[in-house]
Amino acid sequence: MKKILITALVLLAVAAIALCSLEAGPLLHLKSGLLGLLSPVSRSGGAVKSSIGSLGKDLMTLDQLQAEYDRVLAENRKLRAENNGLRDLQQENNHLREILGYRERSSFRLVPATVIGHDAGVWWSTVKINRGARDGIAADMPVITDKGLVGKTTAVSDSVSEVLLVTDENCKVAAKVEGTKEQGIVAGTRSPGGELQLTFLSKLADLQPGQKVYTAGVSGGIFPSGIALGTVKSFRARELDGMAVLDPAADPASLEEVFVVTGAK
Amino acid sequence: MNRVFLFLILALLLPLSLAVQDLLPSLPPFGERLLLFPVVFAFGVLALPLVPALGFALLAALLQGLMLLQVQAGQSEIGLTLPVVFFLGWTIVLQMASEATRGMSWELHAVGGALVTFTMIAGQFLTLCIKRGGFPVDLSILMRIAVPSVAAILLAPLLYLLLCSFVPLAADEAQAGGMPKGPAH
Repeated sequence: MKKILITALVLLAVAAIALCSLEAGPLLHLKSGLLGLLSPVSRSGGAVKSSIGSLGKDLMTLDQLQAEYDRVLAENRKLRAENNGLRDLQQENNHLREILGYRERSSFRLVPATVIGHDAGVWWSTVKINRGARDGIAADMPVITDKGLVGKTTAVSDSVSEVLLVTDENCKVAAKVEGTKEQGIVAGTRSPGGELQLTFLSKLADLQPGQKVYTAGVSGGIFPSGIALGTVKSFRARELDGMAVLDPAADPASLEEVFVVTGAK
Repeated sequence: MNRVFLFLILALLLPLSLAVQDLLPSLPPFGERLLLFPVVFAFGVLALPLVPALGFALLAALLQGLMLLQVQAGQSEIGLTLPVVFFLGWTIVLQMASEATRGMSWELHAVGGALVTFTMIAGQFLTLCIKRGGFPVDLSILMRIAVPSVAAILLAPLLYLLLCSFVPLAADEAQAGGMPKGPAH
């Protein structure tokens, strides 16, 4: 009995040392494996959560339904009127795009995804999405919404991926400020609240609240140029540089549908 | 044989708790999280004998370390060493507490679960402060540490009852072997 106990303890010690000596590469592979293992629970749980959420949203009183009906009717009339005008604009837009080659230059190949789970830890801003390697997703791909940049993929399993949000301290993005020559680095903060910090600006940068900040798209980086990052909230000069606080373009608290940029069209 | 089943069931519950806690909504106002993982871990190391409990702790360290793994410039921010030391350390402390209080009880589980939760979150924060620099302590940070720890005290008895009904083997083990292990009903 004593021999078995000692053998078990020795094996445990060996296992502990082996775990401690694993490098980042093999650990990332193991993490992808774990995400894959947990993906059935995450995916079905995410679907159930979404159904429960939508059930609560759909329940309305008769008065609310009547008000909603009136609102939708009015909106429908307005949209029909707008639609007639937009047809002409669409044709003009297509024509201009063809001339400028805009589509070729700035369109992305997007894979739509649904957020199925939030932060794995208290101090990291991450979400899990229901797309993985089998959908063409790989690590370090930008994730966006129609509002702006969300973050980048980190660990990828067959059917689930983890996205490091732009509001995380570790997600650093080269950025430029609209209407100026100012460039800096955007990153999240450790404190919750979802604000972004734009650092390494010039001390004399005269940034005004409301100015938009976009990705700078540095060569060798993973984020393409021109994706909205946020809006300047405040600016202050520090000892060595200028620092602006930004409201993120895509609110991380209300993320539901996102797109993974798998490449250019 | 019962111990093997008990270990296997708890080993399955551990990753399940990780997946389920990711689905739970965060609490207002600072987005505090409810953590099930440390509470299930505390139950496991209290219910299992020492050697299987150490194995269970290694599994917990592997799962937690992998879930929190963030690789920056080819280096992992928090590797597996700290989780291994943390969970093995708590296993020994909880095993000693279990021996001292003559077996497992829901009170011990509640206090153990809360302390594991508190030290885990605070430890992660301190590690990040050392690795990234800065020590930004404010109300929101304190709430992010305190709320899950207090919630663990409230969650622990519920999980204890639930796990005891799922894992009756632990109680049988204690009665049959006369060991101070297994949850007391």
